[in-house]
Amino acid sequence: MSVTRRQVLAGSAAGAASLASGLASPAIAANEPLRIGFLPALTGPSSSTGVGMNRGTELAVKEINDAGGINGRKIELIVRDTQSDATKAVNAIAELTHRQKVHVVWGPLNSGETLAATPLCARDGIPMIHPCWVDTLIDVKKYPMSFRNAPTNMQIGHAANHYVLDVLKAKKVAVIGDNQGYATATVAAYVPLLKEKGATIAYQGNVDSANPDLKPELLRMREAGAEAIMPWSVNAGFLARICNARGQMKWDVPIVGQTTLGSGQTQALLEKPEYWEKVYSNNFKKVCYAGDGKLPAAAADFRARLAKEKIDMGDTLLWWIACGYDAPKLIAQTIKDAGDSPAAITGYWNKLKGWPGIYATMNFTPEQHNGVPDDEVVMCQSNSLKDGAFNLAPGYGA
Amino acid sequence: MLASIVSYGLAVGAVYALIGITYNVMFAASRAFSFTAGMLGMLGGVLGALFIDRLGMPVIVGLFLVLACGAVLGVITEIVAVRPVLKSIEQHLYVLSTLAFALLIAQFTAIQWGTDASPFPRLIPIGEGLLDQKFWIPMLSCAVTVLGLEFLYRRTLIGRAFLAIAEDSYAARALGLPEVRLRLASFALAGVIGSLAGFAGGEMLLAFFGNQSILNFYGFVPVALGGMGNNRGALVAGLLLGLFQQAANFLVGGIFASVAVFVVFIVVLLLRPEGFAGASGARRV
Repeated sequence: MSVTRRQVLAGSAAGAASLASGLASPAIAANEPLRIGFLPALTGPSSSTGVGMNRGTELAVKEINDAGGINGRKIELIVRDTQSDATKAVNAIAELTHRQKVHVVWGPLNSGETLAATPLCARDGIPMIHPCWVDTLIDVKKYPMSFRNAPTNMQIGHAANHYVLDVLKAKKVAVIGDNQGYATATVAAYVPLLKEKGATIAYQGNVDSANPDLKPELLRMREAGAEAIMPWSVNAGFLARICNARGQMKWDVPIVGQTTLGSGQTQALLEKPEYWEKVYSNNFKKVCYAGDGKLPAAAADFRARLAKEKIDMGDTLLWWIACGYDAPKLIAQTIKDAGDSPAAITGYWNKLKGWPGIYATMNFTPEQHNGVPDDEVVMCQSNSLKDGAFNLAPGYGA
Repeated sequence: MLASIVSYGLAVGAVYALIGITYNVMFAASRAFSFTAGMLGMLGGVLGALFIDRLGMPVIVGLFLVLACGAVLGVITEIVAVRPVLKSIEQHLYVLSTLAFALLIAQFTAIQWGTDASPFPRLIPIGEGLLDQKFWIPMLSCAVTVLGLEFLYRRTLIGRAFLAIAEDSYAARALGLPEVRLRLASFALAGVIGSLAGFAGGEMLLAFFGNQSILNFYGFVPVALGGMGNNRGALVAGLLLGLFQQAANFLVGGIFASVAVFVVFIVVLLLRPEGFAGASGARRV
């Protein structure tokens, strides 16, 4: 049978018309799974956060799918282990957006990886939500589809400064960091905030992170009359040396700072358990034990579900799992209420108010894509870890 | 303050001196500076914590295994990173090859062990405060090593063979000395000394992969100040460096303490490039 040019042209025109009209697309979309691209670091040096959050994320997706999915559509979680490597995160983002055609990206979970991945997501027009603290990661003009479901570094600093000045009533403060990038930037950023709040900086310095003896620095702080020490570092060795030096000097000054102060790595390096007394680290109100020793109802219920699902809590923190759990739940709620297009997801998030996460209450506006409210970033007692959660630091009330 | 400067300074200085001696032992056998000395020190701490703390081995067994691992790594260093570049030693390719090998091991350690510092076990429950074992164990290890090396080099045949190789490898070979095997033995010995440095200083420096770069640099300072290949010079310069560093911690503090050490190092090298105890080398023309 011969095919004429006219027949070919007519057939092509009909095909093009049917594609353009989208006649077949609603049927496909109705059954199509909702694809969430998830970028945790499950291996490598920065993987502890990713491992914890991954447990929460997997649980949330399982719960949603077991309940029938979203409007009958299952969630397909497409996980790519970034291996704590920004290059791998970038490659994974490209694959998720171009080949897998994900509807939304959850992660990466480390700031270094997110710094590299955010511009790519913005370029490809895919909404992303991440839990990384570096302030510059959120910029509504440059990255209008990027949202944060965790605090910023400035919120962390404000919470610690508030605790030192308003709760502990210390006025003379020693601020110390190691010589690594995070610490030098943080000390430089937080000292002006302290001064704005009326504090006197009794000591300010950055010290070699490998310096085995920090006693000289603490002697200087004591001589300057410091009433609180604020160490900013993610180096557990550095933080433990500060606690050890304070203990050897029998100085009962409070130590107030970043979450690593309450980590198992810091604990392992303490010379005596009592050197962890009066050490307060950042945490989140909705996942801390209150004065009555109880978790808020939502967190207690969540932890019971974790236990029922036999999800290991021994090597991780409740707030990591809760944060990992909240993200797919928020995404599911969004798609259920608004649809799965990038514009619908972004538009819904831009108006999100008081969304009740386990980890934090989420609020976004078109001008503000940092979701965690200031008053939910608190300080906890570093030595009070029990079943993945900490006691609120003294002064927050029951 | 003075007691703290002396105890901490001498202890850290002893570790630096041991790393300096590690450089020297490798240099004497090959005329190449192997920048794996810091790696050996770092591994001494990490492997010590692994064997004793995590695997629960007795201290003596842990120490023996650490030293054995150090010796094996010393031998591997000679085979992989030094021997292939000895023929063109004037191009100083050993700097790259040994640094690359050390970085490889450091990255492997970071992946397997983790990037956070881990505790190093308390070896002997003796001493408190400024007489704590973490101060005197490095000093004792350093003293034993220096005396042992003096005995080896001055009183034993194999030690004299080491010296002969170090002095003139061509002449030593002409006399029938097995140069390659002696060089391997020297690198194994350096491995033992380097890992001992990290093991002895483990309680102060912790089991941390990042100690490699610090030990590489601060261990090189005693070599440069004490004279290349001069173990006594490295001992004195290492102890002085530790004391100076600790005094700077107290007097200047913060990041400026490190700057003070670098400044003194540069000034001394400008004034006396061969180091305090080194002799100007005569060049054959």
